[in-house]
Amino acid sequence: MTTMMDRSASAPGHAAGKRPLIERLNIVTALVLGTVSAVVVWQLALRFLPETPETSLFFNREDKISLLSLIGWFVGFMTGIGALIGPFRWALGKDLNHDENMFLAGKDQGIKRYFRYTTDHKVVGIQYLVITIIILFVGGTLAMLIRTNLGHAQGGWIQPQTYNAIVGWHGIIMIVATIIMITGPFGNFIMPIMIGARDMAFPRLNALSFWLIVAAVPPVFISFFTGGITTGWSAYNPLASQAGLGMNGYIAFICIFAISTMVAGANITTTVVKMRAKGMTWNRTPIFIYGVVASVALALPAFPVFFLSQIMSGMDRAFATSFYNTAGGGSGWLYENLFWIMGHPEVYVILIPSVAALMEMAPVFTRRPLFSFNLAVMGIAGISGLSVLVWAHHMYISGWAPLLNAPFMLTTELISIPTGMLFLVLIGTLWRGRLWMTMPTASIYALLWNFMIGGITGIYLSDVPADAFLHGSMYVTAHFHYTLMGAGLTGALASLVFWFPKMTGRMFNKTLSWVSFWLVQIGFNVTFIGMFLVGLAGQPRRVESYAEVFSRGNLITTMGAYTIMAGMLVLLHGVISSWRSGVKAPMNPWQSKTLEWTVPNPVPLENFETLPVVTSDAYGYGKAKS
Amino acid sequence: MSDVQVSNKAKWWKSADVKKTAIYWVILTPIIGYVATEVQLRSIGAPASEVMASVKSLMGIFTWAASPVAGLVAALALTSLMGKRHYGDNPPPDADHEIRNSPRAAATWVVVSTLLCLFALITGLIVLQKDSESILDAKAININVTGQQWVWNFDYPESNGVRSEVLYLPVDRPVVFHITSKDVKHSFWVVQMGIKMDANPGYVTETAVTPNKIGVFDVRCAELCGLLHAYMQNKVHVVSQADYDAWLSNRAALEGAA
Repeated sequence: MTTMMDRSASAPGHAAGKRPLIERLNIVTALVLGTVSAVVVWQLALRFLPETPETSLFFNREDKISLLSLIGWFVGFMTGIGALIGPFRWALGKDLNHDENMFLAGKDQGIKRYFRYTTDHKVVGIQYLVITIIILFVGGTLAMLIRTNLGHAQGGWIQPQTYNAIVGWHGIIMIVATIIMITGPFGNFIMPIMIGARDMAFPRLNALSFWLIVAAVPPVFISFFTGGITTGWSAYNPLASQAGLGMNGYIAFICIFAISTMVAGANITTTVVKMRAKGMTWNRTPIFIYGVVASVALALPAFPVFFLSQIMSGMDRAFATSFYNTAGGGSGWLYENLFWIMGHPEVYVILIPSVAALMEMAPVFTRRPLFSFNLAVMGIAGISGLSVLVWAHHMYISGWAPLLNAPFMLTTELISIPTGMLFLVLIGTLWRGRLWMTMPTASIYALLWNFMIGGITGIYLSDVPADAFLHGSMYVTAHFHYTLMGAGLTGALASLVFWFPKMTGRMFNKTLSWVSFWLVQIGFNVTFIGMFLVGLAGQPRRVESYAEVFSRGNLITTMGAYTIMAGMLVLLHGVISSWRSGVKAPMNPWQSKTLEWTVPNPVPLENFETLPVVTSDAYGYGKAKS
Repeated sequence: MSDVQVSNKAKWWKSADVKKTAIYWVILTPIIGYVATEVQLRSIGAPASEVMASVKSLMGIFTWAASPVAGLVAALALTSLMGKRHYGDNPPPDADHEIRNSPRAAATWVVVSTLLCLFALITGLIVLQKDSESILDAKAININVTGQQWVWNFDYPESNGVRSEVLYLPVDRPVVFHITSKDVKHSFWVVQMGIKMDANPGYVTETAVTPNKIGVFDVRCAELCGLLHAYMQNKVHVVSQADYDAWLSNRAALEGAA
């Protein structure tokens, strides 16, 4: 790490050899305490929980035990990492003193601060970046397993049970990775500097939101070995109540992740509303900030619903309640509604910050002002507003409310209007610009291409009669990969290259960024155009084998997927090698006008020596300056 | 400054960039429209019902309606790519203008996209209306569809309790499916007829279609339903009315014997 500093002197206020508790907690204590606590709870539950009566519908006792153990893990882990120290001390009336706060901020700790409950937003940003890369790596590996299995028709080499578990695992962890991939690393590291703040509004909540994600990941990994998430990421009931103990891992994962998202959402929103630099009016606030806020603000109403839906799912499993069990008076449609009330805003949680990040880069790499800032803001606001009103387009053919199909078709198709505004802003900014050809610049074009395909296929899917044919087919899978990966991930990779110099102090290797760009984009389009075609020909999604007629399309898709993998591995190599030994970055390598480029590398602890005062927006490029 | 703007306004369409874009647009739009329509409609294959035929024509119409927009974005992108490009580690000089807005372009864009959106909506609603009316057809055959892990069962209640795993339908007769499930959620998809409806445990949902082609088509499950979801598929035989009646009486006799 480039920001490594020698620890010049041990922190004051304690005798040598006996460090205070706050300094001894780190990821190791967290993992140990989490594991111990899970095992203890597990053993206690095994011993003391009464046997389930024979008549019980599902495996109640095992479900109770595994859910309790997961709660034990969660509480143990969060205690072990030190999340409770602050609240505990506050409750005792002995709040943390200045030195302790400085310790928590990671002052003079070198690399160790990345493994602690550190509150500095830059540390949290790097932590998010690393965990995003890890999750994407695992999710990508699972995708390759799926594609390899589908490489040739009948009889894949993965057992159906395992295959379904892989599909579910790939789905949910990729959703989580894409949700955090912009607002996590760049929303935490870059955003506060960009608005001219010293840190987030609630630094400890910031640390909390990251470590909650770390706490959430092991349950979903373990679930793979206890039956797996065999339901796809949507975990529809009653299929989910029928699934094995792995579902409890999913439930715990979602609940913890939802808390993390809510905490991060409240924190980021507050930071942007309250802590922008003097003079940074809403009209002068960079568009990336709007994207990040729209994303986390959308998550605020969405994720409590997801949380609730999984609590109810867990209760159905553990206590034989019947929220979703038709025989007991519940309804699977209730689950579908709750799930998609979260699920549709959630795709815009992923997409909006990505598009906004590319909008932020567009003026920098075309050396001209952003075209129609107001339309960009209105587009983001319009998408956010409409996205909470469209959820039932996932349920056109569920039979839940056929009479609502027409209204939901209306709201869904209306989204094309604000989405079009975002296109106009990007294309308008490219118009007569002085193109500086870098990987982020090319990513803008890639986004236009991919998002155009993703958007237009979305119109077919929003149309009820066409959806009656396309729903549940590979066409849908290809469509949402075009939006979440083709648009979302493209923006995130561009952001990585763009902000890499500020985050690591080194330039991203140019050649590697270009090689990976072309491999990923070409591979991506081959993969998912092939998938569109087999979907149109009638291949359902989430199948582990298929009819012979789909062989050619699937082979093309698999070959494309391997190309993506090659590209992503090149990118990973680029990240590691550039981070270790890349060219040292100047303070402002892109000659950008936003505030994060006005601070030195490495960014000092509280970012700014004196807080900046903003007198114009950040898009004053172009010759005719007044 | 204002002079420049006025003179720009007067002849904005004469600028070389605009002309280039217009040419690209005119060339790209039909190419995009043609390729996208052909590739998609060919993959879908021949329809076996009116419903599927209208899905195909809807997708064709939408693709053609969207292609001028896609063509314009592609043309603008191409123009910008063909303009001044700069490679290197240091930024190029700034662009020679500072256009921050164009109320006319923005307004045109928003109005046109709104009109396209309304067009898509109205076209869709017309087809939807036509499709939903077919459920009310009094002359229709009724078939009960039951999904269970991992097989479809078809009951012909008007024909002495005949039950089958392969669906038989007479050609050119409307049929209404009453769909339910015994365990988890499935989705009943008759691929070449363009209909799909979820099978929910405890509820009966309905969808209707009139097969208009004799042949063998596919029934698949389109909602992940557990271990053998991929194998939950079977055939639908669309036969002439005479063959259908013969098959029904044959089945009824068989089941009576058993």
